[in-house]
Amino acid sequence: MRRTRLRPVRPPRRTPAAALLCAAALTALAACGTSSSGNGGDDGSAKGGSSDPAAPLDPKAKVTLTIDCMPPAAKAAELKEWNEDVATFNKAYPNVRIVGRSTPGQCEEPARFTAMLKAKSQPDVFYTYFTDLQQVLDNDGAADISAYVNQKSVPALADIDPGVLGVLKKDGKLYGVPTSNYRMGLLINRKLFQRAGLDPDRPPTTWAEVRADAKAIAALGNGVYGYGDYSAENTGGWHYTAALYGLGGDVVSADGTKAAFRTDLGRQVVQNLHDMRWTDASMSKTQLLKWGDLQKQITADKIGMFLAAPDDIAYMVQQLGAEYENFGMGPIPGGKATLGGGNGYMIKKGSSPDKIKAAIAWLNLKTLSPGKGQFDWSRSKADGLPVGVPQPNFFLGATKTADDKARADHATMPVVNFKAYMDNPVPGKAEPPKAQEIYKVLDNVMSGVLTNKDADVDKLLATAESQVDQVLANR
Amino acid sequence: MTKPAGPVSGPLRRQLTAHGFLIGAVLCFAFFSWYPMAREFVLAFQKTKDGRTTWAGWSNLSYVFHDPAFWQAWRNTLLFTGLALVLGFAVPFLVAVLLNEFRHGQGYLRLLVYLPVMLPPVASVLLFKYFYDPGYGLFNRILELVHLPAQQWLQSTDTAMISVVIAATWMNMGGATLIYLAALQGIPGELYEAAELDGAGLLRKIWHVTIPQMRLILSLMFLMQIIATMQVFTEPFLLTNGAGPEGSTTTVVYLIYQYAFNFNNYGGAAALGLCLLVLLAGFSAVYVRLSRDSAD
Amino acid sequence: MSTRTLISPATLGRTRGKVVYWSVFSLVTVVFTLVFVGPLYWMAVNGLKSTDEFTRIPPTLVPHGVHTDNYTHAWKVMDLARLLRNTLWYAFGALVFQLVLDVAAAYSLSKLRPLFGKAILAMMLATLMIPAAVLVVPQYLTVLDVPVFRRNLLNTPWAIWLPSVTNAFNIFLLKRFFDSIPRELLDAAAIDGASPLRTLRSVVLPISRPILGVVSIFAVVGVWKDFLWPMLTLPDPSKQTLNVGIYSLAQGVPENWLTAALAMACLPTLLIFLVFQRNIMSGLTAGGLKG
Repeated sequence: MRRTRLRPVRPPRRTPAAALLCAAALTALAACGTSSSGNGGDDGSAKGGSSDPAAPLDPKAKVTLTIDCMPPAAKAAELKEWNEDVATFNKAYPNVRIVGRSTPGQCEEPARFTAMLKAKSQPDVFYTYFTDLQQVLDNDGAADISAYVNQKSVPALADIDPGVLGVLKKDGKLYGVPTSNYRMGLLINRKLFQRAGLDPDRPPTTWAEVRADAKAIAALGNGVYGYGDYSAENTGGWHYTAALYGLGGDVVSADGTKAAFRTDLGRQVVQNLHDMRWTDASMSKTQLLKWGDLQKQITADKIGMFLAAPDDIAYMVQQLGAEYENFGMGPIPGGKATLGGGNGYMIKKGSSPDKIKAAIAWLNLKTLSPGKGQFDWSRSKADGLPVGVPQPNFFLGATKTADDKARADHATMPVVNFKAYMDNPVPGKAEPPKAQEIYKVLDNVMSGVLTNKDADVDKLLATAESQVDQVLANR
Repeated sequence: MTKPAGPVSGPLRRQLTAHGFLIGAVLCFAFFSWYPMAREFVLAFQKTKDGRTTWAGWSNLSYVFHDPAFWQAWRNTLLFTGLALVLGFAVPFLVAVLLNEFRHGQGYLRLLVYLPVMLPPVASVLLFKYFYDPGYGLFNRILELVHLPAQQWLQSTDTAMISVVIAATWMNMGGATLIYLAALQGIPGELYEAAELDGAGLLRKIWHVTIPQMRLILSLMFLMQIIATMQVFTEPFLLTNGAGPEGSTTTVVYLIYQYAFNFNNYGGAAALGLCLLVLLAGFSAVYVRLSRDSAD
Repeated sequence: MSTRTLISPATLGRTRGKVVYWSVFSLVTVVFTLVFVGPLYWMAVNGLKSTDEFTRIPPTLVPHGVHTDNYTHAWKVMDLARLLRNTLWYAFGALVFQLVLDVAAAYSLSKLRPLFGKAILAMMLATLMIPAAVLVVPQYLTVLDVPVFRRNLLNTPWAIWLPSVTNAFNIFLLKRFFDSIPRELLDAAAIDGASPLRTLRSVVLPISRPILGVVSIFAVVGVWKDFLWPMLTLPDPSKQTLNVGIYSLAQGVPENWLTAALAMACLPTLLIFLVFQRNIMSGLTAGGLKG
């Protein structure tokens, strides 16, 4: 029997004062709950190393780090790189033991993630989406690493997009470092574009063009459709938000108290979907799709376009066996703003300073150093991994220039297929507050219009509006 | 095994033995059933924010009451329960009555009916998802072959729930059918003979002999079925990815799941669970009375 | 098994009766075969189709091109053997725990007259009315941190086994059956000096075989069919059950692979079922559940 955690955690009995004290003590001094540090007390945190957060990790310090999102055995090349990076890391820090945990499929699945936080069974270094911060903090799950992340521990820090770091901060405190970030665009199937007589180098940039192209592609027949979209498991609302951002609309009012999508722009998104699904029949009869379904369909050359983040391409090639040549990307239709997000790592609250330092040192090597770890493009190319996807994309200035060049030099895919996306950068915009709850409501708008020919667009939006107002008014 | 009579007096020893036999199950109930039930009440009145848990009064309950999805989930769950009773209760009974008449191949037919129960339910549900596909799905093809209009199945607010129920019935009817068959075989043949002497036809025999003879097992299964259908989760979760067209297959348990594991709102989830609990307390009374009747 | 059923043998003996009987019988046999075996055929065959043929309209009954490599791919990514082994292990443990603890409890409640026995039984039966799914949140939190013992059962088989004991329906069935055992039988054993445990073993259990069979099937099927609970309590992919494993897989492989995977997931269970069907069927039908 394996016990992931020995320390009992009973939030109801914990007084707020004690928690506060604990948090204060944590940032200033040693960890308050050393016993909570995951897998046993073999990290020797109390003795080794300095407790000054700004000082670098003492190479003599003995630390064991558990980390999730290690590539599973099925992803042989990534796993090989992971192991190489661990070896490199151990040359500098021979006393740090890195224990990776792998997960097949996506590294984070919301239900599993919530459960993990609730159980406090997250590894020392855990994978999160940018939007998880509030949830992690509600569960007292992440350590404040502001003092540990500095020019010395992360040399590239100055060139990391402050906008990206900003989403990992709350009240000025930093709780995580980014691994990757995305900005949504329009993913197209070049093969189907060509077959339909369209120019795959010029993806549509407005919804009117999307509709026209979708119609042309659907005319190919034989179960091929022009456009696809989600309407289930909260991903429908997510895409509605993306489409609305593209048109310059917003889901929630600026002060975050009211729904803001029952506007002409909001209606336009829905009406357009309705027309594609029912008037043009350029969307499939099978709806209620969620993340993963459209990727399968476009890989099977069954749909021409859908809204996506660039790394969907890598997913489809690696997981579903698609070909890079098959895909291209354009900016989000409308091009006013685009939904952005990403993922990174946080460090479990209660970790000892040495553990945090070791974690930062590892993350710096693996995810934050140009030319190393995930940015070692020549190695990725040699290992047959995708190079050239415009993601991650969180560097600025000279670092960005150098990294972009390295990426282009070692590209394994026709980067020119993403030219339309790269050349037309659209400003990123974060997800609304209480995103999941709002997306659940907006799922109904999407499923409503995509499954009901006679759907009343304004009624759908009016219902959703009152529900989102409700969500925002509570708590 | 027999111990010599010790200093412990007879009745006390008997009690100790009796409770010794009970203790294992009682502890399991205490930890995994009774305690969580009590905890549900506590959770329903608490909230957690920024790592702190505080009393929330009625705010969780008022939150879920004001969530329009709450009422929709109730309507859907009751609709599912109703449909599942019509199909899931009547179909196995009729099939059992029918099979019981066969003098041949009963073993084979019983095997067939029970077959889906043995399949991993997720596999069965995904199979139905393919059958229901309005494009390449098998069901629309069959309708087309017999010149009936194609259906939207899971893709329409009108038919989504019934489609879920059909799949659930196919998957689960085997167990109930076999239980009814067993009960049918316990009905003394003389009763039918007596009914025939009174000139009773087929339906009247079913009505006046079969059903009264199976009264207890039928009422038991009826209640069990209500309980089972009230907690439907897997089928809509996999068939329609949870919510369904305009939320038409959102069930109470799916909503609980969403609250707890997607919105990180355990208080709201507990409040929802509490509502379901209170509703079922009514059924509970019936059930306890029933089991007491049968115990006498 | 009584031979006399709803329809009298005399009616069946007549020519018209025979014609009706045989036509109904053949119709039912054909329809049932189609309804219950047809989907399995579809699954096996569609697992062989190409991605393109899989979604072809109208669907093909016999695949045009046979792609056995769908099965090899699916086998590789799914690790079916492990999923199956996990599930059987959880089911077996649940069975053992339920047979030991629930039988003992039912026996005590039925024959040993414990103090507060009625109240305990009522409290157990009360849980029957509370769907497991309603308690999923507090039960989940309990498993994360079991009170008194302060253990986290997440990712351990205990998270499946211990809650499975709280099967009030099985206790109810067992108690009802034990109630029907004549007291004289037990009294005779007691006069011979047998302890309750010995009476249970050598008198009660041998005559309870039918009900034990039923309870065992319910115990195993319960674990076999469960989805939400193992999905929450066994998040570690290497510990997952078959159901949860298939669900995870469904998100990331092409449809034809997935169908091949479904076919393979069904095959071992079908084999187990066919081999043991006599026991399973007789367990469920031999009685013990008489109205």
